[in-house]
Amino acid sequence: MNRRTVTALVINDLRQLARNPRVLVFAVALPLVMWPLMWFLTSLTTERRQERLESRTYLYAVAENPAATDGQAWLDRALARAGDDRSPGDPDTADGPTVRFERVETPADVPAALDAEQLHVHVAWESGTAESGAPLAVFTYRADLDASGAAEGFLRRALQRTRVEVRQQRLEATGFDTKPEDLLPVERIETASEEQTSGLLLGRVLTAIIVMMMLAGGSIVATDALAGEKERGTLETLLTTAASRVEIVTAKNLSILAVAFATSVLNIANIVVWMQLDLIAAPAGLKLVIPVGAGVLLLLLYAPAAVLLSSSLLLVSGRSKTYKEAQLLFAPVMLVAMAVAAIPVLPGVELRSAIVLLPIANLGVAAREILTGHYDWPLLAAAWAVTAGAAALLARASLRTLSAEKLITASDTDAADLAGGPALFPRRVARWFAVLWALLLVWQLNVGGGIDSRLLIVINMSIFGAAAWLMIARYRLPVRETLSLRNPPPAAWLGVLIGAPAGLVIADGVVRLASLAMPIPEEWIEAMAEAFGADIPVWQMLVFFAILPGIFEEIAFRGVLLHGLKSRLRPVQLVLVAGIAFGFFHVDLFRIPGTSLLGVLLVIAVLRSGSIYPAMAWHALHNALALGSARIEQIRLPDQPTWWHYVLAVLAILVAFRLMRQNHQGASRPAGSGPEGPVPGG
Amino acid sequence: MSTNQVEVHGLSKSFFDQARGEVNAVREVDFECRSGEIFGLLGANGAGKTTTLRMISTVLQPSSGTARVLGHDVVREPVEVRRNLGFYSASTALYPRLTARETLTLFARVNKYPAERTRDRVEEMIERFGLGEYAGARIEKLSTGMKQKVSIARTVVHDPPVLIFDEPTVGLDVLNALDLQKGIQELRDEGKTILFSTHIMSEAERLCDRIAIIDKGRIRACDGLEGLRAATSQHYLEDIFVHYVTADDTTG
Repeated sequence: MNRRTVTALVINDLRQLARNPRVLVFAVALPLVMWPLMWFLTSLTTERRQERLESRTYLYAVAENPAATDGQAWLDRALARAGDDRSPGDPDTADGPTVRFERVETPADVPAALDAEQLHVHVAWESGTAESGAPLAVFTYRADLDASGAAEGFLRRALQRTRVEVRQQRLEATGFDTKPEDLLPVERIETASEEQTSGLLLGRVLTAIIVMMMLAGGSIVATDALAGEKERGTLETLLTTAASRVEIVTAKNLSILAVAFATSVLNIANIVVWMQLDLIAAPAGLKLVIPVGAGVLLLLLYAPAAVLLSSSLLLVSGRSKTYKEAQLLFAPVMLVAMAVAAIPVLPGVELRSAIVLLPIANLGVAAREILTGHYDWPLLAAAWAVTAGAAALLARASLRTLSAEKLITASDTDAADLAGGPALFPRRVARWFAVLWALLLVWQLNVGGGIDSRLLIVINMSIFGAAAWLMIARYRLPVRETLSLRNPPPAAWLGVLIGAPAGLVIADGVVRLASLAMPIPEEWIEAMAEAFGADIPVWQMLVFFAILPGIFEEIAFRGVLLHGLKSRLRPVQLVLVAGIAFGFFHVDLFRIPGTSLLGVLLVIAVLRSGSIYPAMAWHALHNALALGSARIEQIRLPDQPTWWHYVLAVLAILVAFRLMRQNHQGASRPAGSGPEGPVPGG
Repeated sequence: MSTNQVEVHGLSKSFFDQARGEVNAVREVDFECRSGEIFGLLGANGAGKTTTLRMISTVLQPSSGTARVLGHDVVREPVEVRRNLGFYSASTALYPRLTARETLTLFARVNKYPAERTRDRVEEMIERFGLGEYAGARIEKLSTGMKQKVSIARTVVHDPPVLIFDEPTVGLDVLNALDLQKGIQELRDEGKTILFSTHIMSEAERLCDRIAIIDKGRIRACDGLEGLRAATSQHYLEDIFVHYVTADDTTG
């Protein structure tokens, strides 16, 4: 790495930032003033409010009833002390209470009077019980109105204190003259030093504060670092220079770190100055003094966290097409980072636990322990190494964004947005199927179990059919090409006959394998047996559970979904994503593994044969065999399959796919269809 | 010493596009650029010119084939390739908040031009491209013509032996375009090897020593203007271009 090149790039980034007055004002200067100002104004407003509440006259009314006479004695005694519980530490408290209560006539409509603030609290007395003799006070007030809420609070607390006093007097009258505090005296001896107590408080919040400041400061440069350069067109200029990708990423990271560090220091210094000027109050018990040794250790400890944060910001910037997109994507990064950085706040979380494996959180807990004087060196080293490793991985990932050709060619794909129609569909297909999945999930969870399984199948298939039709119509997709409505190679039918039973054996194996990690409950097996009940006639079983899914699920998944994903994914990705997505549409957790495998096999069948028809036949045959194996002894799957069952099944699948291979001359294409996307194997 | 500064053999590039699926942008392209010549890559929009030049400048990775600049392979020695290369295109922008002088200094440094000679080289470029009066002004304040001069100056500031100009006159008015063409000829006269892409026939005719006609990602013909005329019995480059492109269409 060339130091001169990196330095030149860092200086360039900082110069760009320094010459952008808008960014400097809104991202650096304004927060420096705004945060302390907001803090100051909040405490000022709170103080003023408290003063106002404690020095005003509150209006109260008492309901006239027989118990009121008894209650009034209590009330008078309480009112004489209302306001004694004002803010702790308030120097004015010594001058005696200034909270005053003025009795008014009970209005005809108490709620309306409270609403109009003609009354702040209404007291109704109910006769007391025979044991205590004390009446019951019922307060009516408006908690959403400041004065009414405060009046109720003052009055209630004054009555409570009066109650304690009276109880004490009664106890003394009976000869029990010990004061409550003398009954069981408690003396506390605190062995933690002031630094340790303060360190615990600081350690809980330090990481969150540092992460927040680093992200806020770093994002100023990070947005511009790659996304901004890309938008301006300077990234391509930079990529054609002799600067290596490592030098560019290092320089960008250093720029982010430099600005993040500078803004963090500025912000902390700013808050300290405001505290020194007594314009804002420091949290009680917090001493902003860190011993030099601990400070150096913390700096070392936070270094990989800083790199991790800057790399994640750079990665987001690199993945974004525009400045605005980068700004938008920073929000989730900040949320995740803050959630992790807030873990040290949780009580009981120690470094000597699984937390040591969670980057940033581990350093936060480590910092908390260091600030309270605990040095668990092996765990400190482990925490550092874990976060440093994560930082290295992210730095490597951000390096790869510079090699991603989308950096240069992404704008080409925006044409699809303008063109709409079939060009836009590949970008929208995932969204459509996500909504469809959510709909299906809600439907199955709320209604699905309560109706006849045949009706359920009909409704599900109607949803798939309607969704497929909607997508084809909305994006004007060519039907024959989208659904691969082509004549398959003749041998493909033989492939189906071989492949479907073999696929069932492998799917059964996958389910058995999955059940090792996720044991299938007996109730589930019984429910499935009931759903595909033995009392349903065979022809209906075939129609509802084999033929209908074979047609409609194939149209939706191997037709529309596969067509939409084909241009976005490479063949292996396509097979896995389209196949597993099918599994997830069988929203039942225990059915997902087996149906995902079936989905994968059916996608390959379509890609190999170039036609959807073999997949339809395969799907129907698979379902028919699965149902049949439960009823017919001769085709029942082995209870204890051995390894050679699976070997034979895999070989049969390979043969089936071999038979399905498209014959380039023979496989007919639909009239007027365009060139096809890539198919594996050919 | 080899006279070929740039050697391209079987260079292909295919990529997945969300809208179009697999796109074969460049297909087995072969050509060489000799020392001190202007080699033209002539093709319509979308013919594969920019993709080819981006592969040579190491911005894009070839799907197959090789490209070498002064013997350095674009995949294995990308930094060495870029050190010997100056790349100019309409899409390579400048940093708007830097001055012209700062821009030239930055690009001299990142292109590893010797530190002790950087200052003199920058001043030399400022003088040569007539930037003196504006050297301290930020790029964002300059006119299009001046920005273009700064762009060329930053392309050559590290004195690379090979220069790539990808459709450099796009968006320029006639006078600025002619000015730029003159500058490119001067660079050739100084011994630089220039790889020049354009879709403007007159530009290719006026500037290029040899021309490669590229269409649908393939090189259809590659020769000097006279050679192309002789091979097609056409005089004007437009007719020669149409000859090769339509010949391909009819033969499929």
